[in-house]
Amino acid sequence: MKRHMDIFLEWVLVILLCMMVLDVFWGVFTRYILENQSSWTDELARFLLIWLSILGAAYASGKNLHIAIDLLPQYLSERNKKILDIVINSIILFFVISVFLVGGLRYLYISFALGQTSPALDLPIGFVYMVLPIAGLFIAYYKMDDLLTTIKNLKTMNNGS
Amino acid sequence: MEVSILVLSFLVMISIRVPVAWSLGISSLLAILVSVDTYPALTTIAQRVVTGLDSFSILAIPFFILAGHIMNRGGIAERLIAFAKSLVGALPGGLAHVNIVAAMLFGAIAGSAGAAAAAIGGFMSDQMEESGYDKGFGVAVNVTSATTGLVIPPSNVFIVYSVASGGVSIGALFLAGYLPGILTGLFLMVVAYIWAKRKGYPTADKSSIKKVLSTFVRALPSLFLLVVVIGGIVAGIFTATEASSVAVIYCLALAALYREISLKDIRPIFVESSSTIAIVMLLIAMSIAMSWVLSYENIPQVVTDALLGLSDNKITVLIIINVILLIVGIFMDMTPAVLIFTPIFLPVVTAMGIDPVHFGIIMVLNLCIGLCTPPVGSVLFIGVGVARTDIHRVIRPLLPLFLAMIIALIVVSIFPELSLWLPGLFGF
Repeated sequence: MKRHMDIFLEWVLVILLCMMVLDVFWGVFTRYILENQSSWTDELARFLLIWLSILGAAYASGKNLHIAIDLLPQYLSERNKKILDIVINSIILFFVISVFLVGGLRYLYISFALGQTSPALDLPIGFVYMVLPIAGLFIAYYKMDDLLTTIKNLKTMNNGS
Repeated sequence: MEVSILVLSFLVMISIRVPVAWSLGISSLLAILVSVDTYPALTTIAQRVVTGLDSFSILAIPFFILAGHIMNRGGIAERLIAFAKSLVGALPGGLAHVNIVAAMLFGAIAGSAGAAAAAIGGFMSDQMEESGYDKGFGVAVNVTSATTGLVIPPSNVFIVYSVASGGVSIGALFLAGYLPGILTGLFLMVVAYIWAKRKGYPTADKSSIKKVLSTFVRALPSLFLLVVVIGGIVAGIFTATEASSVAVIYCLALAALYREISLKDIRPIFVESSSTIAIVMLLIAMSIAMSWVLSYENIPQVVTDALLGLSDNKITVLIIINVILLIVGIFMDMTPAVLIFTPIFLPVVTAMGIDPVHFGIIMVLNLCIGLCTPPVGSVLFIGVGVARTDIHRVIRPLLPLFLAMIIALIVVSIFPELSLWLPGLFGF
């Protein structure tokens, strides 16, 4: 399951990044070659960046790539390291569920309720913010998966000793 | 009260290995929960995270990261090293000087120090070891010189500073970085020279003019990127963001021309880049959220009053700020430090008549030192990693190089002309 989600996210990220490069390049091209810059390129690029960043953050979360400082934990025993992992993942889970899912959905709801649309593309802004709860679901899944694995490992460690 | 919760919870979380980006977000949330109801607080943080990323200037950062990843595959580092070797290889401790000059050249076409430390260090560390250099010294030279690339444009940090400062011109910052960056590089070379003399490190034969020219011609297509990006921005042909997208296309074309990447390499490069981009962007989004909470709690005003009450002497205030930033840099990565401390310190220094462009250079040059110190020295860890050595061997040779960086910082702080002359020349 995790593997399929990773591959799915990888493809989405590659497509978003390609679209972003082409979009901004198209803006320059239309301004200088066609001498009439498209009005929507800046706006689309910003929206793509938000999606790429937040979804990419979910992908990086699954791979545990976000930068952390490994200073004190290196002195812990293997068992305590596992317990610390449980604490860390629970903290992240708490934040992601509260801000990305609850906060994100409320934010989404408010902007749809107010009927906000973007100036150039006339796109309901809510679609841009939708990335928060979507990424939130991914991260929540990844972190719960990590938690369950760590707890399982801890159990076998306890049985072993 | 709110601020002590913010600072304490942040310190606790980063010290137990919660990723820095999440720590920033969580401590901002905890601080704001003190004075705001739960649901609005959650929505506000969610909103800050998204709107923080909603900027056309910030878009330059992912593009420069992508261009850097393509460059790393495209054999550009190797060509720059060959050119640097023909220039400075004959000095005492030649390979150290080659490393420094190559890092500066790499910095002149790429936007991040980590990329330079990885690309240049990967080639140089083995060569230095074979020639009898101390490995720790090689790494120390590599990581300190890699940070000059952050001061020499293009530079992602200046884009971050421009956003944090509320729109200081990216073009002006880019031009202002040249002289301080080159100056720092020269100071590092002085230290490397003295160190090499004392240890009796070997020197290479002097290169002929022909050799210099031929390596220059080989490096020229890569260096031409500098003309496209910086020239384009300074001449007002395109914005920094547009320039960075042109840099991506240029690097792709160059790599295809050299036949160093094929179509099937594109996907892994894009995947790797987008995960680097996301890591940086999440850090940016969360830092902006924290910065917002701090200004919501009126911290910039409090700090301004405190510092101005302490002294009305420009130099004294600059010294205090520099010392604070040096300490911050040891414990915090550059991007969050710039995003969080620029809004706090900028009002103070502008009130004292210091140019925001000049202050940007001081801040970045200062935080460069922190990138090479444990426990939070991202560039140091990359350098140690590519050289496959131990961090303890690097500390001792780092000390004199830090001294060089601090002297450069002092000189740049005292003489604003070093930063402001070049942008002034181009009418910024």
